[in-house]
Amino acid sequence: MSAAGALVRTRPPRAERASTVSVARLLRTELRRSPWPWMIPLLAALFFFDPFRTAMSYPPVWGVRASVITNKLLPDFEAFAAGVAAWAGSRDGRRGATDLLTTTPWPVWARRGVALAATMCWVLATYLVFVAVLYIAIARASSWGGPPLWPVAVGAAVLAALCAAGFAAGTFFPGRFTAPLVALGVFLISVSVFKNAVGSTGGYTLLSPSGVVPNPDIGVFYHYPPDLPTAQALFFGGVAVAAAGALGLFAVTGEVRLRRVAAVIAVAGVAAAGTGAGLAGTSRQEAYGVVIPALHDAASDRPVLYTPVCGDAGGVPVCLHPAFRAFLAGTVAALRPVLAEVAGLPGGPVRADQVATQAMNGPQASITGTPPVFHFDMLNTPGSFAVSTAGFDDSLRVGFVTAFVSGSRISGGALRGGTRPAEAQIAVQAALLEVAGVPLSAQRAGLGFGGIQEPPADRARIFAVAQRFAALPSVTQHAWLAARLPALRAGQITLAQLP
Amino acid sequence: MTAAGLQNLAGAAPEAKASWPPPAWLHPAGLRLVRLHLASRRVPAALAALAVCGVVMWAALYWHWVLGSGTGAQSVPIVLEAGTASVVAVTTSSPFGELERAGVRWLPWLRLGTAVALAGAAVGALCAGAAITGDLSGGTLGVLRNVAGLTGIGLLAAAVTGGGLAWIAPMAYMVAAQYAIIAGWTTPWLWPARPPADHGAALCAALVLAAGVAVTAFRGARDPASGD
Repeated sequence: MSAAGALVRTRPPRAERASTVSVARLLRTELRRSPWPWMIPLLAALFFFDPFRTAMSYPPVWGVRASVITNKLLPDFEAFAAGVAAWAGSRDGRRGATDLLTTTPWPVWARRGVALAATMCWVLATYLVFVAVLYIAIARASSWGGPPLWPVAVGAAVLAALCAAGFAAGTFFPGRFTAPLVALGVFLISVSVFKNAVGSTGGYTLLSPSGVVPNPDIGVFYHYPPDLPTAQALFFGGVAVAAAGALGLFAVTGEVRLRRVAAVIAVAGVAAAGTGAGLAGTSRQEAYGVVIPALHDAASDRPVLYTPVCGDAGGVPVCLHPAFRAFLAGTVAALRPVLAEVAGLPGGPVRADQVATQAMNGPQASITGTPPVFHFDMLNTPGSFAVSTAGFDDSLRVGFVTAFVSGSRISGGALRGGTRPAEAQIAVQAALLEVAGVPLSAQRAGLGFGGIQEPPADRARIFAVAQRFAALPSVTQHAWLAARLPALRAGQITLAQLP
Repeated sequence: MTAAGLQNLAGAAPEAKASWPPPAWLHPAGLRLVRLHLASRRVPAALAALAVCGVVMWAALYWHWVLGSGTGAQSVPIVLEAGTASVVAVTTSSPFGELERAGVRWLPWLRLGTAVALAGAAVGALCAGAAITGDLSGGTLGVLRNVAGLTGIGLLAAAVTGGGLAWIAPMAYMVAAQYAIIAGWTTPWLWPARPPADHGAALCAALVLAAGVAVTAFRGARDPASGD
């Protein structure tokens, strides 16, 4: 081997080291040049006003509070991430430096890649800091479970995709209006997709991470379903990779080998995005989450094991999932009056258990089993979704009394799986509610959860009887119910037969 | 335009005022100055962008991209109003910087006229787009107020961040306004959340516009050396 050969052999490590140092230096320069720091105070203000406050108003359950990452935090970030990336991508073109920079030893793709990486670093770092702040606050309030990572991953994939797509738009259409127009376009797409995704029960619209409204107890009774987040991450990750590949593929200059690599990467990104979209197209809303058959693991359908927390409501245990421990005292207090009214009567529950909320079916309440158990969900918890403590109490009591007297299952605020209550049943329900602290006036206004929906004339007649029944001594009421409850449930008692 | 031309214009203005009735800006050199100023601010491209916003407004109303008829109905129009205000704010960016400030006496008037004319064009584009379908929530008055206030925010931001990044402020304000609409906030400083005929909201928007126009006219956008 010649001396020259030896020299050649010793070069690659040094060149590699120098190249790494150069990349680091260029990245540091790009990080310092990025306009993103201007965004941080604005985004911090938006974060505390919107996602953070909203999350803190939700029940202290990891899953539902973490849902603000995709429903609130991402929409606040999206347009700015894309706009700033477009601004960074259009820099060479805006300054008329494209030709000048073509003569530099670095390939165009590498230079653009470092600039894109710097923008992504800023965006993702800010995003992760906000997520950390949010998760710390949730951890301090929640009593069960741990932080779900899927929303964080999906959010990161969306932001990476928007950064790459925005950067590509800025590179290929440089100009001072590119950044605001990209931001405007992202806002419009976000609003439009949200409109189509909300209430959707399957299909491509569920690709939008901000369109899925989770149950308040998501991840509590059943594992956080990873099907849809997987498809979303695949789609948005694919978009990011495809856009990054396009930056090298459509570079005006560059080595053929590099452009081939860029083409392969772009095609791989398109394939991943297409696969993600295709998977989302097969998605469907099930009772406890969105299922994609090709990705679904039956093991995730198994209920999560837990030890319930219980309180005593006049001798009847009222049990909640430990994630809802904060609401135990309120739930016991809400159910105690109605449980006391029916104590000792046939069909009176020996226990009250919280069950999982079913997606889009609304509040649930039923008395089933032997011995009978009152099952209810916690769709509307006090302090969340504009539900007051009084509203929560009334909702639980109406659900219980309706299920007890009519023997009906309440689902979505309406009676399901049973016949409409007879007039006498409605009158007894109204009387029991009146005694339990739900005034007839509130019942007249309609309680929304099995509330009485009679024509005004009939309602006045029924409520007059209910008023009379409610005015009876509790012993008399109890004795009458004990004797005639089966007949009342069977619809064999008329309004005139009530005392 | 050369420096000599600028000198001539600056020197010719008093003479023209004394000898001939038309004001200096109607002098051929003045017209040329206006044209070059507009070109340097990419006003033709800005007008095209505003026209696109008008078309999108029409499309949004025609194809019902808006969410229902309540607060959701305002989401798309406010996004577009912020978009037009961003375009107006971005035009304040100057490629000449100190050279221009030192050489052109009429610069404040040129900046003032450009900002006001573009804000008017923004309102016109959105109203024209909405007029075709005729079911814009808030009506023309709402568009006028919102665009005026958002433009003022953009112009103020241009003085801080430079014209190129001034679009950030109207967009951020728009996000805050969307939240205010949903949350039912009533402060007049978040004017999109108030009814179109609300005097307090109109006053706040007008004040912000006046401040923005004044800052833009007298100070201009931040020096391009650190921005565009």
